[in-house]
Amino acid sequence: MPGYDMLLDQTDAVNELLARYGVKFGIYKNGTFNEQLFPFDPIPRIIEAGEFDYLERGLKQRVVALNMFLKDIYSKKQIVKDKVIPEDFIFASSGYMAECEDVTPVKDIYSHISGIDLVKGKDDHWYILEDNLRVPSGASYPMIARNLCRRCSPETFRDTRLQDNRDYAKLLRRTMDNVNVGGESVVLTPGRYNSAYFEHSYLAEQTGSILVSGHELFVDDDKLYYRTADGGKTRVGVVYRRISDDFMDPMNFNPESLIGIPHIYDVIRKGNLALMNAIGNGVADDKGIYYFVPKMIKYYLGEEPVLSNAPTYLPFYEEDMKYTLDKFDNLVLKDVAEAGGYGVVFGNKMTKEQKASFIELLKKEPRRFIAQEVIDFQDLDIIEGNERVARKADLRAFVLMADEPLVWKSGLTRFSRNPDSFIVNSSQGGGFKDTWVLSH
Amino acid sequence: MTARYFGSALERDTVLQKLHFNYCMDIAYSGAADICYYTIKCIPETNARQKLVSYEITIEPEHTLSIGKDSFGALQAYGRVPVRHNRFRYMIDGVMEMTGALYEEAENADKTPIFSYPYGLNRSGEELEKYFNSLKDELEAAGREAKAPAYEKSMILMHRLHQDFAYEKGQTGVTTTAEEAWKLGKGVCQDYAHIYTALCHLAGIPCRYTAGFLVGEGASHAWVEILSKGKWIGLDPTNDVIVIDKHIKLGHGRDASDCHINRGTMRGYIGEQTQDIRVLVEEI
Repeated sequence: MPGYDMLLDQTDAVNELLARYGVKFGIYKNGTFNEQLFPFDPIPRIIEAGEFDYLERGLKQRVVALNMFLKDIYSKKQIVKDKVIPEDFIFASSGYMAECEDVTPVKDIYSHISGIDLVKGKDDHWYILEDNLRVPSGASYPMIARNLCRRCSPETFRDTRLQDNRDYAKLLRRTMDNVNVGGESVVLTPGRYNSAYFEHSYLAEQTGSILVSGHELFVDDDKLYYRTADGGKTRVGVVYRRISDDFMDPMNFNPESLIGIPHIYDVIRKGNLALMNAIGNGVADDKGIYYFVPKMIKYYLGEEPVLSNAPTYLPFYEEDMKYTLDKFDNLVLKDVAEAGGYGVVFGNKMTKEQKASFIELLKKEPRRFIAQEVIDFQDLDIIEGNERVARKADLRAFVLMADEPLVWKSGLTRFSRNPDSFIVNSSQGGGFKDTWVLSH
Repeated sequence: MTARYFGSALERDTVLQKLHFNYCMDIAYSGAADICYYTIKCIPETNARQKLVSYEITIEPEHTLSIGKDSFGALQAYGRVPVRHNRFRYMIDGVMEMTGALYEEAENADKTPIFSYPYGLNRSGEELEKYFNSLKDELEAAGREAKAPAYEKSMILMHRLHQDFAYEKGQTGVTTTAEEAWKLGKGVCQDYAHIYTALCHLAGIPCRYTAGFLVGEGASHAWVEILSKGKWIGLDPTNDVIVIDKHIKLGHGRDASDCHINRGTMRGYIGEQTQDIRVLVEEI
């Protein structure tokens, strides 16, 4: 195993630098905004070269199929006609947006940046937990952490052969350039009160793009322009947006949005702008659709899925409802419409009353929930005070769809600081680690 | 004024009559807008039932103008008013040829599921479901013998709704849902169309909210198109009639929010906003 002992001595130094660089995560709780540091743990997650090759194959396959699915849903809907996925799971889903019908993104790419969450079970098997195809965040954290670790402990990296993960910006730029229709590249942020504002600014800087807010962009003559400081305008060819679908355009979506750009979707309709990621991707990363992804891979690619889902049941199907009720205490139940670790409940952690009312809800709205086996995943060591303790952790892998699918040879490893919790989301107060992919 | 038109109008594709239409919208602010973005969906589409022969749009004040299509295929004019203004006016004037056809062929069956599920303002609740259940026996009986069950059922629903809901202005607003309007027991064409859409969905009939103009003077109108045997048939529950040659269609969607005739985003101190809408449709 490669050595990182010397790095451990530098933990405080790295965390201090991260704080100075403003690596923070904003959390809204009970209506107030608190910005807190995103705690970094120096013990890296280490993935062997061969193991990562396997992950890479599976991730590419999955994201290619998901992109084909999105194209299909917003045009011919063949997968529904062929009854591979029941109609309800598409058209009654809040992620489906009729506004996207027949709007074809540049080069048919819908999910340019996909954040795929995986866990490794105690059986040494990797499982996909969820797909994030809207605006997945997190790549900047291991990028900058690696940078600062190298600065604090250069010896560690001299003696260890690992993939350099600082090329993420290069991959991202390649992804942007691939779809740029002619003009500037911009990163669109909702502003500094967004939980991932650090990331927006960092990725803009690292990719050589302009960091902009909605009011700095405007539509004229069916094209998008950036207002320059001298009062002029310059055409924009690609927008890497970090604003959710609904807020992108008050003229086409939520009319209350103050952070969007009026008529930007009309520009996209006419093919005069590439938007990363496309609008409407929510129909493919919904927890209900997750169940169908392995079927999608077979359907579109004629291949067996390389990576497996966590065993999942859809109470929508009678048989699965029966199983869910029988094994309720062994399962984790997830509300398909929620994200960020919200709407997740464990059968065995509910009181009798909670259970009764939950089951009532489940029977009333079976389409709204999925049930999963609780995966006994491998814990990773973290440093807590002066001790090493084991905690639950997952891995968010990043797959970029450029002229070909690209898997970033690193990833965001998130862990739960609470020893009893399985929920690792940063919005729930977890920390992060660097992910080392060995180069041989 | 119902099924008896069915046979006679079915095969016609000649020009039954010409309609002249004029739609004026005048929006005034007590303050002023520094900039305004607008989208106007008031250009009637051409389909089997109607043909747009000519039209002219005038917009004041100074503005940019693009023409495109919305997600449901309706024509839209959009742009921005880059100058400070306290009044925004537009007018569309045109001529339609009405063919007398009773339906639009559902050319793109792929899109049907979009109009099969509750969405936005057409969602039903407990009360509306109760009402629907009270009609169930009648619907089932009608459906059993019918050659076109969806059509027969939707006719019954239209007659019933027309009887059991009262037309009254000022009771509901643009964001009133089907369930809310039903509980009030009264409303305008938009409410009729939302409730009707909800009822059709409960009966398993795909249907779409349709916006347009009706012959006469007044405001814009709304009705519903139901899918029966691969054909979209317009039914107007406000007036309890089948849509033939007196209704000019602008576009369709899932609910009223997909079909707003005008939409705007303004910056500046707007103050009080008043709207004056005039619609005139006459036979020529």
